[in-house]
Amino acid sequence: MTSRPELSASAPGEALAREKIKIEVRNLDFYYGKFHALKNVSLVIPERRITAFIGPSGCGKSTLLRTFNRMYALYPSQEAKGEIVVDGEDILASRQDLNRLRAKIGMVFQKPTPFPMSIYDNIAFGVRLYERLPTREMDERVEWALRKAALWDEVKDKLSQSGMSLSGGQQQRLCIARGIAVKPEVLLLDEPCSALDPISTARIEELISELKSDYTIVMVTHNMQQAARVSDYTAYMYLGEIIEFDVTDQIFITPKKKQTEDYITGRFG
Amino acid sequence: MGNRLRRQDAAFRFVTQGFAFLVLLVLAGIILTLIAGSWQSITRFGAGFLISSEWNPVTEEFGALVPIVGTLVTSAIALLIGVPVSFGIALFLTELSPVWLRRPIGTAIELLAAIPSIIYGMWGLFVFAPLFADHVQPLLIDVLGPIPLIGVLFEGPPMGIGVLTAGIILAVMVIPFISAVMRDVFEIVPAVIKESAYGVGATTWEVVWNVVLPYTKVGVIGGIMLGLGRALGETMAVTFVIGNAHRLSSSLLAPGNSIASALANEFTEAVGELYFSALIELGLILFVITFIVLSLSKLLLLRLARREGKQT
Repeated sequence: MTSRPELSASAPGEALAREKIKIEVRNLDFYYGKFHALKNVSLVIPERRITAFIGPSGCGKSTLLRTFNRMYALYPSQEAKGEIVVDGEDILASRQDLNRLRAKIGMVFQKPTPFPMSIYDNIAFGVRLYERLPTREMDERVEWALRKAALWDEVKDKLSQSGMSLSGGQQQRLCIARGIAVKPEVLLLDEPCSALDPISTARIEELISELKSDYTIVMVTHNMQQAARVSDYTAYMYLGEIIEFDVTDQIFITPKKKQTEDYITGRFG
Repeated sequence: MGNRLRRQDAAFRFVTQGFAFLVLLVLAGIILTLIAGSWQSITRFGAGFLISSEWNPVTEEFGALVPIVGTLVTSAIALLIGVPVSFGIALFLTELSPVWLRRPIGTAIELLAAIPSIIYGMWGLFVFAPLFADHVQPLLIDVLGPIPLIGVLFEGPPMGIGVLTAGIILAVMVIPFISAVMRDVFEIVPAVIKESAYGVGATTWEVVWNVVLPYTKVGVIGGIMLGLGRALGETMAVTFVIGNAHRLSSSLLAPGNSIASALANEFTEAVGELYFSALIELGLILFVITFIVLSLSKLLLLRLARREGKQT
C-alpha cells in the first residue's frame, strides 16, 4: 500500500481490486480555452457502484463528469487530453460515434430539464432515437422507466400533460426516468438534488441507491452528507486535481490526507 | 411626501393608460374611415366585389379577386421560400457556425433588413427579372410545364416579371426578418436543455427539431408572422416586378397584381368617386386579411399548446 505512493490518489487498494472497472481515466488534462481545469487526473470508476465527486466549487468535479460523455465537445473552445477508457475503448482518442456514446452514458443535470413535450414523450424521445418499438412495447418501456424513477403512481393518469407542468422534484425524477429509459450502462448525475427540497432529495437518493444494482453511477455533489449516505466510493477534488479517492467510509472516517480531512470536517478555509 | 408620490404615481398611470388607449382609438379610427370611404363601393357591388375579377375604370365595374389572389399567392411563395431558408440560417448561426463567423453573417442579415424596399424593387426589375427570364423561367417552363396539375402554374412566355418574381423578391425581403427573430429565440434556449437532449444521444438535427423548435415555437411563429405581415403589405418592390395586370391567370409566370401594388399605382388616376371607393375597399380587405392571418396564428399557437398538454 505504501509501496506505490504516486498512485495513492487513484488506487485506493484492496476494495477496488475486487471491483470490475467500468471507466478508467488516465492522465486526463482539461482546458477551457487557456484555463487548465483538470490536471493529470487518473482514477477508476467501478461497475455497478456509486462513485461521488466532492470538493469546493470550481474544483473540476462537473468538468470531470462531463468528459465521460464528451458533453464538452459541444463547445469548440473546450478540450480534453489524455485517456478515458470505457469498456476497453478510449472515448477521447477513437473516432467515437458521440450520439451512441451518449446513449450509453446517460446524464442528469443540476436543474430539471424536461423537454417541451408531454410526460410520455419526454421518456419516449430518447428511446425513439435508437429503437423502433411498437406502441405497446413503448408504453411498457415508459411505464418501466417511470416506475424505476418512482414517479409512475404520480403521473400515470396524466401522461399526455406537459412535462413542464410537474413540480421540481417530479421533473427531476422525470429526467432520471428519461435517462434510464434508453437503458444506458452509466448514469452521470451532476448535483441532481441541489435544486430540490429535502423530501424530494430523500426520494431521489433512495432511487439512486436502487439503481445501483443495474447501473454504474457517477455523481457530483456539493452535499457531503449526501455523498456519505449514498455513495460507495468518493473522490475528493481540489483545484482540478484528485486529492484522495477511496471507499466512502474511509474518506469520511479516516481520510489519509489532511486536506481531505479539513474539507469534510468543515475546517476548509 | 407620501401624498405627493402617490399623486405622481396616479399621474404616471393616467398618462401611460392614455398612450395605451390611443392605440385602440387609432385602430378604431382607421377601420371606421376605411368602411366609410368604401361604403359606396360596398353598397354597389356587395359580396360580389370579392369574387369578381373584373376591373374596368371606364365602365366602372370593379372586383377585387385579382389583387386578393395576387397578394395571397405572392405572400405564400415568399413564406414557402423564406421560412426554410431562414430556419437554415438561424440553425447554422446558433448551433453549427464557428464563433468567428456568427457576427459577420448576423450583421449582414441585419443590413439586408435595413435596405429600403424601393431598392429591392429596382434590383428586382433591372437585375433579377432579366436574369430570371433568360435563365430560370425557360427551364421552369420546359421542365415543370408538361407535368399535369402543376404544369399550369408554369405556362406562358418567360417575361421576367410576374407573380413568381414578386414572390421571390418578397422572399428575399422577409428572410432577414424571419431569420433574425428565429436566431434570437433559438439563442434563449437554455444550454442545459440542449445538453440533456444531446445527453440521450440526439443529433444536432434531432435536438433542434424536437427540443429547440417546440421550446421556441411562440417566437418562431411570431417571426414568421412578422415576415408574412411585411409580405402582405409590401408595396414598392412588388409594384416594380408583379406586372400590374388585372388579369387572372393560372400561371405564376404571368403578370398579376397585389392589393398594395394596385393602391399605389391607381390612386393618382382614380377620378371617379366609385373608382376611389373601390380602391379604399381594397385597403379594407387587406386590413381584414392581415387580421385573419393574425387570428389564425393565435389559434395555431393555442392548438399547439393543447397538443403538448399544457391545458389540464
